[in-house]
Amino acid sequence: MNGAAQKNGAKARANASVRSFNYSTSPLLAAPTPPWRSKLLVALVGLGFALLLGRAVYVQILDAPFFLKQGEIRYGHTIELPASRGRIVDRNGLILAASVPAPSIWAIPRDLEGDAASRARLATLLGMTSAALESRLKDNPNFVWLRRQVDDPVAKAVRALGIKGIHEVREYKRKYPEGEAAAHVVGFTNVEDRGQEGIELAFQKQLAGRDGTRRVIKDRLGRVVEDVGDSIAPVAGEDIGLAIDSKVQFFAYQRIRDAVAANKAKAGSVVVLDAQTGEVLALANFPSYAPADRRNLTGAQLRNRALTDTFEPGSTMKPFVAAWALESGRVTPTTVIQTAPGKMTLTGSTITDSHPHGNLTVTEVIQKSSNVGAVKMAMTFTPREMWELYSAVGFGQKPQLGFPGVVAGRLRPYKSWRPIEQATMSYGYGLSASLFQIAHAYTVFAHDGELIPVTLTRPLGSAAATPVAGIRVLSPKTAAAVRDMLHLATLPGGTAPKAQVMGYSVGGKSGTAYKQEGASYATKKYRSWFVGMAPIAHPRIVVAVMVDEPSAGKYFGGDVAAPVFSEVVQQTLRMMGVQPDLDVKPQIVSREMPAEEESF
Amino acid sequence: MTRLNLLLLLVLIASSLYLVRVSYEARRLFAELDRAQSEERALDHDSERLKTELRSQATPLRVERTARERLAMRAATPAVTQYVELPKQAASSAATGTTP
Repeated sequence: MNGAAQKNGAKARANASVRSFNYSTSPLLAAPTPPWRSKLLVALVGLGFALLLGRAVYVQILDAPFFLKQGEIRYGHTIELPASRGRIVDRNGLILAASVPAPSIWAIPRDLEGDAASRARLATLLGMTSAALESRLKDNPNFVWLRRQVDDPVAKAVRALGIKGIHEVREYKRKYPEGEAAAHVVGFTNVEDRGQEGIELAFQKQLAGRDGTRRVIKDRLGRVVEDVGDSIAPVAGEDIGLAIDSKVQFFAYQRIRDAVAANKAKAGSVVVLDAQTGEVLALANFPSYAPADRRNLTGAQLRNRALTDTFEPGSTMKPFVAAWALESGRVTPTTVIQTAPGKMTLTGSTITDSHPHGNLTVTEVIQKSSNVGAVKMAMTFTPREMWELYSAVGFGQKPQLGFPGVVAGRLRPYKSWRPIEQATMSYGYGLSASLFQIAHAYTVFAHDGELIPVTLTRPLGSAAATPVAGIRVLSPKTAAAVRDMLHLATLPGGTAPKAQVMGYSVGGKSGTAYKQEGASYATKKYRSWFVGMAPIAHPRIVVAVMVDEPSAGKYFGGDVAAPVFSEVVQQTLRMMGVQPDLDVKPQIVSREMPAEEESF
Repeated sequence: MTRLNLLLLLVLIASSLYLVRVSYEARRLFAELDRAQSEERALDHDSERLKTELRSQATPLRVERTARERLAMRAATPAVTQYVELPKQAASSAATGTTP
């Protein structure tokens, strides 16, 4: 079989050599080619060119915008230009809140390189343990935040490590130089730079500004080569000016903090109002918090008690009753009211004084804070009259502050009042108000009978605020008469001699009330406060102080809250440059020395 | 004719080279401008940060504590204050004048 195959192969080779001929004489050439083949070829090539041409027309003319856009997507980049958040400044232009750059560090764990040592250094820089860093990196292979908003130097150090896969993004962080003293007024922002509390929330829109954008062409290395199209410049947020004076604010905060500690109290608040312009000079609460570090915050720290907590105002309501009795001509300051034996019964309920006083003039009723005297005056009013008075000075209504969380308190409609309720309301039980509302109401006495509008803000660069006109509630004469009574309350024989201030005449009303617990009143829990104004003849400021649950033995408003009032008034008037209206024994020693004789 | 064409060719080449140079220059200047602008932003941020820092070093709390502890000062009371009456004219100009 094998031999036969070899034989056949040799025969074929012999044949080929015999039958070889030139190319030109090839019989294949002589064979006629069918004409359709060349035509087909021409047609195919033509079709190919037509397709290319059609595609070119499509790309260049018909769908050009789409392709232009696709091209631009590949080389163009949009850069976000973040707008900086506006500042919050006090009345003297001192910064209360400002944004500083604080880069956030993030990583793509898949791309992450770097040896154990540099990772350990990274962990230390970011303030975490190596184990915590590793577990954070395992969360997501594509993107993890390592630390939001670090300080600039830390970011620079991280950059210097040069680990691949670690990136940073520019973000801003709020700084609050005033710290906890102004925390409740200024509020704070969250990590996305949006206001969450206080002025930061109330003026979020103005403070935020508008981010801008910019289209650019970047080269292979990521450098910006050229601008394309219009760029939108970022609009920086507006600065917000507050009426707060940071010195007064700090001082008020410091005093209420010390008073809360000294009296083992739960909390306290101070409100300082300018009695001429209605500006809020200070609004402080304790306990407070550091707005920059909000870990482990409790609701008790966050509450802006002066504005959001309502309570029964107690004796601080009595001056309004006396004022209306004077205004309506029912009494004069010297009218005598019989308050003996220190208690009275009204539809089965008994109203008592802390101790019996006997015959008291209207002035003395306020000076000595007699419940019976106040009730006797109030029962001559109709419920409607009294309701109108209380709501005219702002009780049961939200103060127009434009501040988040402001409450209205509670003043029930007069149609549902029973006589005993009207009686208790005359000395401040059965209705509720915030400390701010009480301070606001007292501007009626301080501003010659007008309730003035209050404001927390003060447009930047505005000239010194001028005294404002308010809504007239009492006549100037009545207001002056009540101021006299309030002044007497701070003199010996009144309820709050501790409110006195060196150099300035003051007037005010102390209050002490049982705290309500559930449906009844707690026996050993009190709230003490003091509301007053100074200098008494032409008041410049109204100061209200509240101390919640003093439990170190003393609990009368005149003992607990009045000293705070005294210190705050002293400092505030000094800072405002108000000249003392009382004679002070000067301690300045300037001896009369004979002049040295000049030699000549 | 050939001469004119040659001349035009030369002009064309010169102009093209100049175009290349100009666009290179434009890119370089743009990059420089861009760098300057980002430096301006960085400096702005720095100044804002330093202003805030300065302010937090001068809070009433710190001033008060330093005055009391390091300089042994105490708050003025009316008893140790000498009040000076400004003459009428000076008083009115002080009232309208701007406070620093």
